[in-house]
Parts: sequence; structure tokens; C-alpha cells
Amino acid sequence: MKKVIFVLSYALVALAIFSYGKVKENESLSIALSGQYANHMADASEKLSALDTAVKKTLLFNEAEGSSKAREDIWRLSADIQSSVASLPIDPSFSTSWMNYLSRLGNYAKENDNITNHQEYHKVMSQASNNLSAMAEEWEVATNGMVGGRLTMDEWRRKLDAEHSGHDWKKMGTTVKQYTESDFPLTASESDSMKKKDLRDMKDEKVTKEQAIERFKQLFPNVSNEVVGVEMSKPGSPYPFYHIRFAENQSVSYIDITEKGGHVLSYLSERPFGKEVLPFEEIKQKTETFLKNAGYKDVVYEEARENDTSWHLVYVRIEPEYKAKVFSDVIHLKVAKDNGQIVGLDASEYIRKEKTAPQPMVQIDWNTFFHSGVHIAENELAYVENDRLEQRLAHYLTVTMDENGKVGTYAVIVDTETKEVIKTEKLK
Amino acid sequence: MKKVVIHLMTIVLLLGCAYITSPIQIGAFSAQEIARGAKGDDVIELQARLQYIGYYTGSIDGNFGYGTYWALRNFQDQYGLPVDGIAGAKTKKKLSEVSKYDEKFVKDNLNKGNKFSHYGGKPLANQVSKGAGKKENTQLPSKYSEQDIQLMANAVYGEARGEPYEGQVAVAAVILNRVEHPDFPNTVSGVIFQPLAFTAVADGQIWLTPNERAKEAVLDAINGWDPSENAIYYFNPITATSKWIWSRPQIKKIGLHIFCS
Repeated sequence: MKKVIFVLSYALVALAIFSYGKVKENESLSIALSGQYANHMADASEKLSALDTAVKKTLLFNEAEGSSKAREDIWRLSADIQSSVASLPIDPSFSTSWMNYLSRLGNYAKENDNITNHQEYHKVMSQASNNLSAMAEEWEVATNGMVGGRLTMDEWRRKLDAEHSGHDWKKMGTTVKQYTESDFPLTASESDSMKKKDLRDMKDEKVTKEQAIERFKQLFPNVSNEVVGVEMSKPGSPYPFYHIRFAENQSVSYIDITEKGGHVLSYLSERPFGKEVLPFEEIKQKTETFLKNAGYKDVVYEEARENDTSWHLVYVRIEPEYKAKVFSDVIHLKVAKDNGQIVGLDASEYIRKEKTAPQPMVQIDWNTFFHSGVHIAENELAYVENDRLEQRLAHYLTVTMDENGKVGTYAVIVDTETKEVIKTEKLK
Repeated sequence: MKKVVIHLMTIVLLLGCAYITSPIQIGAFSAQEIARGAKGDDVIELQARLQYIGYYTGSIDGNFGYGTYWALRNFQDQYGLPVDGIAGAKTKKKLSEVSKYDEKFVKDNLNKGNKFSHYGGKPLANQVSKGAGKKENTQLPSKYSEQDIQLMANAVYGEARGEPYEGQVAVAAVILNRVEHPDFPNTVSGVIFQPLAFTAVADGQIWLTPNERAKEAVLDAINGWDPSENAIYYFNPITATSKWIWSRPQIKKIGLHIFCS
């Protein structure tokens, strides 16, 4: 009995020492974390003040050149604050609105090189400056406890979750949202772009649930024997669609079909794959036959990527005027390597085709445009969305350059009218 | 006697036809044509052989990208072959004739994750140094890295491993939708590790080893699938503690998750 008591006592002491160690470790971790967060919060406060100063500096000049350095600062500082805000445990409704505001402020300053209406710039940025000052004060009050070291991590979290947290983060979020709407309202292009993404303005006739199932069976006769369930999208969806789930042998799949027009948004099937591998040419041929039969007749092959069980293929629409590829009107397909079956289709971006307008094409001397070591491997026409969300006709160039004995390949997209470089991307 | 001869001749003829029409295996290459976007053993051999004769200077990784494409075109040009950047039967045959391929050396080093090259004319043993470990061999769109895939697979597995496949692709798509959205950080890691954003990060489940299904779901999402229909939030109505999340417009329910904008 004595021995048992002896062993138990030792075990208890060991447990107490271990628990004490753990508590201390958690405490120091919590202190380190609080320190990190306090640092980010203080950093955001300082940068917020610097941002406000940069905005005010740009208001000193009439000419864009005079304020170019300060505008660059606005863009850089807004990105920095976004990065700090993103790494902080704060109310999500506030952080999303705040990130949005900062991103629009930075973009507005960056894009001002192309804006000739300086009166408009002055008006927008004066308002933004007032709002930024108010926000900086709110931010200081809201983060006071954490920055001043009076709150531990747990206390901060509890304060955020509490019904009456002592600070109204939601109100702050709503205020920033109002600032965004008043200072940087959506432009016509942004609004158009959002509508396209949302598909909410489709004018097509509504299809019934039965018609949607029929469309699905017509497209995928091999897998559509057993429909498990059909649900309508939830009321919050900007565009209503049928969500159809089905099973066939060992395949479990879904397809989403819009209520207006019965267009396929996306389809994906999960099934076991065999070891056999069909040649890529056969896979491509099967895919193109499927596209033709499904009514996607104005698309061309763009690229493909092989993975363990399947190929992912990309097709883009060709517009009739210049025979240019429209990269926003894209169809993705997933094709099984073992038998060439279409196991995935995403045509959500193809449904509402981009409106493309005729555009002048100025002569561009590529020899002076690019550095002497750059070689143009391909030059084709494409419609591509620029920073201002406008569809622009562009030269889609694939260029190569020697990079220390290796060949670097880049896609360079140049506006045919303004020569603006819309995008440069390193290709793998 | 005549009948026997006719039978024999027929058999020989049939065998001959079968031989002529069957795919020709060139060296160790398979009979498949290989083009940009392909991956696997054939691409490894193609890269190693092109490197052996000095046309390819990149890493031998089994992914047929632009580096391999330009090297192959140069080879085809030099050897009077049609210049199309596709390794078909003729190109593979010529390449097998003019180069060597030490399969064991290449595969061993790939498996060990070593840094190595396969140039002819110098000892292979001198062309190896220790690398960062075995890498995945995945064909990805240009803007994504292997690290993005790994992180996303961890997040998908930690957040949705019990969910249907569609739900796993949707969680990966939400991460990508956030990267593109102005209200969120603009990198995959920034989105995943944004404080209070994902439960799996808070409770450490993000560090569980993801399975192949989660990786496949991530690949589908980065290749363009979005079963969430443009959602930027999702939550489990049984376990969600935030009241705010209920205020988001709901799009669709997949498994236990409701996806919202």
C-alpha cells in the first residue's frame, strides 16, 4: 500500500510539473502572438496616417506628374495596410469592407495616369482624405486595448465574439462600405463585369426541372441513368440554377444547370480510373466531338494539362470579326485518360459571351518595342480584359529570352490601339 | 500440300499485317505522341535524352513545358525533322539513335529529390548534388505553384475531408475566389492563413496529411471548376458560431456546408 501511495505521489508531482510547464509554454506563446498582432495593428495605424498624408500630398498639384510619387505611395501603402489587416484577428465584416476600400483607393491612385479629369480626381481624393482621417481615429480606438498590451489574446478574442464588445466593429464595417460606395462607386465596366460573373441579367426563357434533367441526359447519356436528387439553388444565389446529383455504378457526380436557358454551369464526376492510357490525340478528338454535339461550335483548342488520371483541356471562343480568341469566354473540360470519357465540364464563363467592339490596330515596331534579346515565337489576336475591366483587342505574343543559358518563355499582351501592355506572364 | 502452303502464307501475311499496324515502340519510349502539357515517364526520358545531347538545359522533372518544347523544336530543326514541338514516332526514333538514357540514374535521383543533370560527355556521378527532397509532378496553370497546391490540399483535407468530392472542390474554389476578390489577401497562403478565416487553421487540422482525393479536388479547382458558383464564404450550420455568417446571401448547400457570397 505504501508503495502504491509512493508511486502515485511521484506521478502526481510529475503531472503537476508537466502541467505547470505547459501553462507557462502556452502563456509565452500567447504573449508572443499578442506581440505580433499588436505590432501589425500599430504598423497599420502608422501606415494609415502615412496614407492620409500621401493622399493629401496629391491634392497639392494640378498636373499628374507633380503627384506621381505620392500616388505611387498611396498604391504601395494601401497594399501594405491590406496585408497588415489580412493578418489580424478582427471582425470579418469590417476586415472585408476595409480591404475593399483600400484596394479601390490604391487602384484609383495608380490608374490616375490615364485619367485626364483632374478636377474629378481632386474631388474624389478630398473626400477620401476626410474619410481616411475619420477611419484612422476609429481604428486607433478599436485596437487600443491590443496595441497598449492591456488585453491578452483570449481577452481580445472574447471581446470580438461578445454581443457588446465595447466597440462596434459592425458599424465600422458599414461606415467603410458607405465610404467605398461614395468615394469609389463601381464603374460601368466593373458593373458589367460583375453582371457577367453573376449571370443575373440573362434574358433566356426559364426551363423546368424536367427540361434541365433532359438537357443533362442529352449531354451525358452514359452517366445520367440514375438521378439522385434535384435541388434549386438557394434564394441568395444571384442567378437561379438546378443542382442535379446522380450516381451510376461507382460514379458520383453533379451538374449545375441555369434556370434561365438551361445552360450548363459546371459538371464533375468522381469515379475510379483504369490503368489504360489513351493517346492524347484520341482524347482531344473525343473532346471536340463532344463540344460539337453539345452546341459549343465557336470554340478552339487553347491548351491541355495532363495529370495522373485525366487531362484538363481548355477551349476559348473565337469571335467572327478578327478571328481573335476571347479569353474570357472559356470552357474547361476534364477527360479521363483511361477511356476518353468527359468527366468534367465548366462552361460558366462561356454562357454570357463578352461584347467585343471593333478596334483600330496601329503599326507596332516589335524590334524597338522589345529588348534586342527577345524573340517573338507567336503573335495572335485576342480579346483580353484590361485593368479597367474593358475587353480590348490585343496582340497575344509568346516571346522567348535567354536567361542564363535557359530559355524563358513569356506571354505578353499588347493593346492593338494604345500599345498598352495589358499583361505579362511567365509561362512554365 | 498446296492447302498447307496457302494456310502458312495466310498466317504469315496476317502476322505481317498485325506487325505493321501495331504501334511501334521506340527504345524505352512508349508508343504515345508527347506534346506540351504532358507529364510522366515519357517526358522524363525525352528531357533526359535532349539534355544528353545538349539541347535541354532545364530540370528533368517529367513536365512537358515550354523549356522542353523549345529544346525539342531545336532538335527537330537540327535533324531535318518536321518542326512541331511534338515527340512523335520519327522524332523519338531519331532521338533514341543519337542520345543515351540512363533510366536508373535519372529515376533514382528523381525519387531521392536530388538536383541532377544528364549531360553526355561527362561522368553522371559528378552531375548530382543534394536537393530539397522528392517533388510532386503536376502540370499546373502558370500562375500557381506546387506550394499553392500543397497548402490548398492541406486546407481542403482539414476543412472538408468528410464531404462529397464536389464539396471538396467547392472549398478549394472558395479559396481561389478569395484570392481574386478585393476584400481578401491576394495570395493562396494569405487567404488560408488569414486569422479567423478557416477553422482548420485555428485547430491545427490543416497540418494533417492530405489524401489523393483532396489533391485531385484542388487540381480541379485550379483548372477552372467552381461547384460553389462564385462563393467566397461557406459554413457548417450545425457548428457555426458566428451570427454574421448567417447574414451572407446563400447560394447552395453541398454536403454539410452552405456556400455564400
